[in-house]
Amino acid sequence: MISQELKKVILNELDLDDFDLQDETMAPEVPGWDSLNHVNIIVAVENKFGVKFKSYEVLRLKNVGDLQKLLNAKLGK
Amino acid sequence: MSNFQMDDSKTLWQRWNRNAERNPDKEAIVHWVAGEEPVRWTYKNLIETAKKFSIRVKEAGIKPGEVCAIVMHHNPFFYPLYLGISRAGALPAVLAYPNPRLHPDKFRQGLEGMAQRSGLDYILTERELDPIIRPLIEKPGSTIKSVFFPLEWDYKNEVDKKLDDEIEKIALSIKETDPILLQHSSGTTGLQKPVVLSHRAILNHVQNLGNALKLSDKDKFVSWLPLYHDFGLIACFQIPLAYGITSIHINPFEWVLAPILLLEAITKEKATVTCLPNFAYNVLAEKIHDDELNEISLESLRAVINGAEPIRHDSHQKFTEKFKKHGFNPLALSCLYGMAEVTLSLTVHEPGKPIPELTVDRNELSNGVMKLAGKDSVVRVCVSTGRLIDGCDARIVDENRKDLPDGIVGEVAVKSVSMFDGYRNYPEKTAEVVENGWYFSGDYGFRYNDEFFVIGRKKDLIIVAGKNIYPEDIEDTVNQVDGVDPGRVVAFGEEDEQMGTEQIAVIAETKAESEKEKNDLRIAILKTGMSIDVNIHKVYLVPSRWLIKSSAGKPSRKANKERILSREDKQVWSR
Repeated sequence: MISQELKKVILNELDLDDFDLQDETMAPEVPGWDSLNHVNIIVAVENKFGVKFKSYEVLRLKNVGDLQKLLNAKLGK
Repeated sequence: MSNFQMDDSKTLWQRWNRNAERNPDKEAIVHWVAGEEPVRWTYKNLIETAKKFSIRVKEAGIKPGEVCAIVMHHNPFFYPLYLGISRAGALPAVLAYPNPRLHPDKFRQGLEGMAQRSGLDYILTERELDPIIRPLIEKPGSTIKSVFFPLEWDYKNEVDKKLDDEIEKIALSIKETDPILLQHSSGTTGLQKPVVLSHRAILNHVQNLGNALKLSDKDKFVSWLPLYHDFGLIACFQIPLAYGITSIHINPFEWVLAPILLLEAITKEKATVTCLPNFAYNVLAEKIHDDELNEISLESLRAVINGAEPIRHDSHQKFTEKFKKHGFNPLALSCLYGMAEVTLSLTVHEPGKPIPELTVDRNELSNGVMKLAGKDSVVRVCVSTGRLIDGCDARIVDENRKDLPDGIVGEVAVKSVSMFDGYRNYPEKTAEVVENGWYFSGDYGFRYNDEFFVIGRKKDLIIVAGKNIYPEDIEDTVNQVDGVDPGRVVAFGEEDEQMGTEQIAVIAETKAESEKEKNDLRIAILKTGMSIDVNIHKVYLVPSRWLIKSSAGKPSRKANKERILSREDKQVWSR
């Protein structure tokens, strides 16, 4: 389940008012989320939540649900 | 010092064989995969496996001179397959594997356009693309003969000696003037221009570019660049392989997600040369945490070559600042300028010396004159792309193709011993750009003290992260969006200083009035961009009849871009 906070950061970075982000949603399905922008979204999430992702952790993310899980692990949730 | 010796090899296959005979156990290719042990091809193993693939190519019925499009993921068997196709006398043409966001119809349409234009005879791909590609082959009138899945071919068993001898005969009958490969420019709807290069063009380039870069047998390339792009294919694959040195290949899809992979490969393999489009300097400098760099050492690097998109002073500064504490030598910054039509490179900056830069008056420059900046000038820093490499000549010409003096901006015209043999099956397009042996590049620049500075383009091509995109492709697609006034769309490249590249912007006329209608229209435009695998970064919506027309009666990209970027018009809605 994607938290409202994470959704807000992603949509804000993509300049979207709304988009149905689900656990299974993958980057290419979301307008504006291309490989060039991916790195900016990751940095935005890191800054908002005060966490740091390792490159190999980012590489393993397959969908938004994976990003949420990784974020939860960093936040000790 | 360079120690590359031109031998009597007439073809790349002969050259690769010589390299295998001289240094059988030397690594030719290191295939890099994140978190795994790399696959290492020695010259001997690579050649032996390529022979097996060449037999399968012949058994598949592929004949000398036929074009084999290769559409594959990053895979260690790509390399022997590529060499095997070449040995059998066929022409490999590497195409991009479709991104999941690219609509299958658009992918098919692109392939069909290429097939009709350049005559793709076969598609060598992976099984998962079969349902997408098969209808194209079964379609009446299709020029594509068949689709094959070479990763399923047997490359383990010993070769049939008789068949092997037959293919070797084919390989020996290939002349140096025969084509070795076909390269396609970007574009999705038939705008691609298929460039044919001969063995001689590439062998000449190996020598001339190798000398300009002062390559030696101690050099080792590392690259994350896709092999459907000439910067990846020629600079990082063909050149080192013909030279007889090692190249390390990182998966481009993995690199964009984890740019540190390049730095790890440099550190572990002690690589000496890498090639990067400008935006990659920004990404490497700004998107990797310092605490991940503890083990990174860039001491081995002696050349980091910027190419494939405009070179930006700030990007070099950021990169140097970030990595000098990791052993990076700023004198390793290098660059090149060229185009597929001259194999790759026209000018190169020799590594080991600072790259010349000129701080000029921006306004004078936009009027076509290079004038060094005074104290009241609005400045622009122009970075040299280097000096002419051997075997090349260049002129700066005006619109009537007459020579211009140093310091005056004009079109770059080129002559090279590595010139292409024309666009395949496209004589009228070739005739437009080639005159008396000179290729007119469509790029604008000036010469100053034998250094070439490239500052813009005559063509409206957009270059995003080193990838060429034609505005026509975007405009055609956006035109079909409900709510956009038909034929009233302009696409252009907008500078993104933070990322060190251009991003795509679209101006569309619409009758939409409310905020909601405009927001919905923007999303529809972004989505249609996604269907052709193009990321539209900014949408400008304007009322009907807002766009300025060119003399040909179509909306002018240049004039409308200038009008939009002046940001003075309150009628413009943008997001």
